[in-house]
Amino acid sequence: MIETPSIAGVMPERTLVPADRRELAAIVRDLYAAGKTFAFVGGGTELDLGNAPRAIDTVVRTTALDRVIDYSPEDQTITVEAGMRIAALDAVLAQHDQLLPIDTGDRQNATIGGAIATNAFGARRHRYGSIKDLIVGIEFVRPDGVTAHGGGKVVKNVAGFDLPKLMVGSLGTLGGIASATFRVFPKPADTRAVLVRTSPASAFFDACMQDRSLEPSAVAHHPAQGGIVLTFAGLEASVEQQLAHLATLATTHAITVAALDRRALEMLAAAESAIRCSGAWRWTVSTNPVGARATVAPPVATTAEIGYPTFGVTLASAGDDVSIDALAATRGGAIVFRAMPQRARGRIDAWGEPPPSFPLMRALKANFDPKGLCNPGRFVGGL
Amino acid sequence: MPTLAADPLHDRFAAIVGARNAVSAASELRTYECDGLLGYRIRPRIVVLPATTEEVAACVQLASEHGLPIVPRGAGTGLSGGSLPVEGGIVIGTSRMTRILEVDLPNRRMRVQPGVINLDISKHLAPHGYYYAPDPSSQSVCTIGGNVAENSGGAHCLKYGFTVNHALAARVVLSDGSVLDIGARDGEADARGYDLMGVFVGSEGLLGIVTEVVVRILRKPQATRTIFGTFPSTDEAGAAVSAIISSGIVPAAIEMCDQLAIEAIVAATGVDWPLDVGAALLMDVDGVSVEVEHTADAAIALMRAAGAIEIRAPRDDAERLLMWKGRKAAFAAMGRISPNYHVQDGVIPRKDIAAVLREIAQLGRDAGLRIANVFHAGDGNLHPLVLYDQRVPGEEAKAEAVAGDILRVCLKYGGSVTGEHGVGRDKACYLGEQFSADDLDTMKLVRSAFDPQGIFNPDKVFPTPHLCGDRPGLYVPHPAELTGEAGRG
Repeated sequence: MIETPSIAGVMPERTLVPADRRELAAIVRDLYAAGKTFAFVGGGTELDLGNAPRAIDTVVRTTALDRVIDYSPEDQTITVEAGMRIAALDAVLAQHDQLLPIDTGDRQNATIGGAIATNAFGARRHRYGSIKDLIVGIEFVRPDGVTAHGGGKVVKNVAGFDLPKLMVGSLGTLGGIASATFRVFPKPADTRAVLVRTSPASAFFDACMQDRSLEPSAVAHHPAQGGIVLTFAGLEASVEQQLAHLATLATTHAITVAALDRRALEMLAAAESAIRCSGAWRWTVSTNPVGARATVAPPVATTAEIGYPTFGVTLASAGDDVSIDALAATRGGAIVFRAMPQRARGRIDAWGEPPPSFPLMRALKANFDPKGLCNPGRFVGGL
Repeated sequence: MPTLAADPLHDRFAAIVGARNAVSAASELRTYECDGLLGYRIRPRIVVLPATTEEVAACVQLASEHGLPIVPRGAGTGLSGGSLPVEGGIVIGTSRMTRILEVDLPNRRMRVQPGVINLDISKHLAPHGYYYAPDPSSQSVCTIGGNVAENSGGAHCLKYGFTVNHALAARVVLSDGSVLDIGARDGEADARGYDLMGVFVGSEGLLGIVTEVVVRILRKPQATRTIFGTFPSTDEAGAAVSAIISSGIVPAAIEMCDQLAIEAIVAATGVDWPLDVGAALLMDVDGVSVEVEHTADAAIALMRAAGAIEIRAPRDDAERLLMWKGRKAAFAAMGRISPNYHVQDGVIPRKDIAAVLREIAQLGRDAGLRIANVFHAGDGNLHPLVLYDQRVPGEEAKAEAVAGDILRVCLKYGGSVTGEHGVGRDKACYLGEQFSADDLDTMKLVRSAFDPQGIFNPDKVFPTPHLCGDRPGLYVPHPAELTGEAGRG
């Protein structure tokens, strides 16, 4: 018997666990026909994200949908069911020295479907892009129980509308993800990381980002460590040359660069995971790369992805109600709360003001879910 | 339909865009009768050439009030009939919307009007060491608005991704004339809410028309190395591609030409490629210099192991550009070896290139037709060119049938009926072979959210009984393609 989880503070009545994708569709069809509200849950690692749903009768838990449907290492594509844990997927790909560069806070528990629905990303986005750039196909069950596909199994495809993109970050409000196909990547021959003791606002960091001799695969600010972690991945000779170049550059700027060994990296990953997964308050600050570098970190634990393209996100935890109310009041659209205490729900909208294109989003939601039964109210603008 | 000279709506559109920019004279409308898919021709009722978002919105509103279908048009280089006019409808051309609105180097973004030519973005950025990555072969003439509509690819999309990975946000005019900004606004990592930009890119003009596009720009790589290798047949070349991809190398581009394609390219462009080989690969590797050197050497070793006859490197930039010009002029070059040809565009898993090329060759033999292949091998995006002679009775129909069967081979291998040319008018009837009725119905839910009346680009993409009785058309190259100034595929 699986415990029924609370979703953004709302306790559903029951949990159903479909054994396969056909059963997933059948369950959704029945719920929709019966006028029951429902939400899809994978590993349950982001259940505090968003606003409290208006109602959830039933949780449809996808964790039994954990199969690899098709893996073609030679072609570097993989199709997996939505309930597969990220760590399990990592293990499958590792057998062929490949990887799917999706960063989440809790790889052991987070599922691939949940990562898609929440648009999870981290520091490797600098090189590999986000899930939108990695996903090539999707199978999902619409709120009315109809199974739909978009994209395909090949890495290049412009046939039909790009439904995979539409599902990324839609937080299960347009349907439940059943399976997805991704482009995967060869594991770099060598990966090494260094801690550069400087701030993102420094001239040195700017020089690093402009330098064509440096192509870091991940860029992350770790204020608690006192600097920026640059990761270099590729052929050994190339990684070595880039590190040597960085060291020379650092010397001219009188900046310290410290190599991070495996143990240091594991500790950093654990610290980042803790920030992403714990704390009564958690939020992401989204800004452009220049803004990300200039932003003074709030007085709480943070980790920030500050590379290109066009992002710079800080994840934070802890904080008190007063300072957070002030933060929320001045945030514009760039702060999304990923967790908040029950007492704050209703007072603070997790998503902030809906974007200008909200009327289109409402029209989409109405077309996909005319009865408004699928995760109602949890997403942007009450979708 | 009223006579064009007396079209009462002409003056209403002219009041919006100016008399010179509202076209309804039959002789002038001819320019807009078709796009790169020349076999279909439909004369629109009126063509308008607005210069601003406000003018586009006013035109859309006026058309919408009168129930006139709207077809957006960039440079008209599309190969699937996406800009084919609709009988009695209007065409909104973006040829006057050519301003670069904002360049934000520190944030690596650039905001442009939709009529800006793809290559002009990179030219504008070149002095600063930046460029725009998606490079369709038509990049010297095609527009960014058209690229957004078609999710255009190109040779270097293998490493860098397609238009959808580089178009971050847009200002769009919807079917009721409303103007909305979609996508990630400056200062947002991702748009909050649904990824409307993600689904708008590649929607082939069915969801609305863009009037501004924000693109991501990239720093130029430190080094680029080009490798040209020849092989006894496409079997060895296909095996080399598979070996390179599966070894973990991520080339910037790998293009394949078979023997027929080489023959045509040599005849048309004067590159000194050998004619006595079965296939050639043209490959770019880029990145930091040491990585490039090692990767190129590794790729060359894999090519040799797969049975390469000869490996060449261009002596200088001029030769490198000539090699790429040869590749980009390939489709048009077919005119040198065949009176007519049908351009196909399909995708297969990269591991199956050699096997699929054998099946395609067999289809050609069975039909008694030659098929040339020149394509984006690295991402499995085939461009078989079915050669025929229109003057021979029945041969054109046979070529069309073979081209259709090639798409079915792609689908049999788990591929797609289009990798970059789009569905448009040309392939609407094949979309139903790739997607189920439920899949298509779901895509239509997206369409009706954007355009409830379906006034944008009707009769495109989605199969209908009305469309699927039509016959596909012929491809005739533009003069600029024959010279290698612009190309397709």
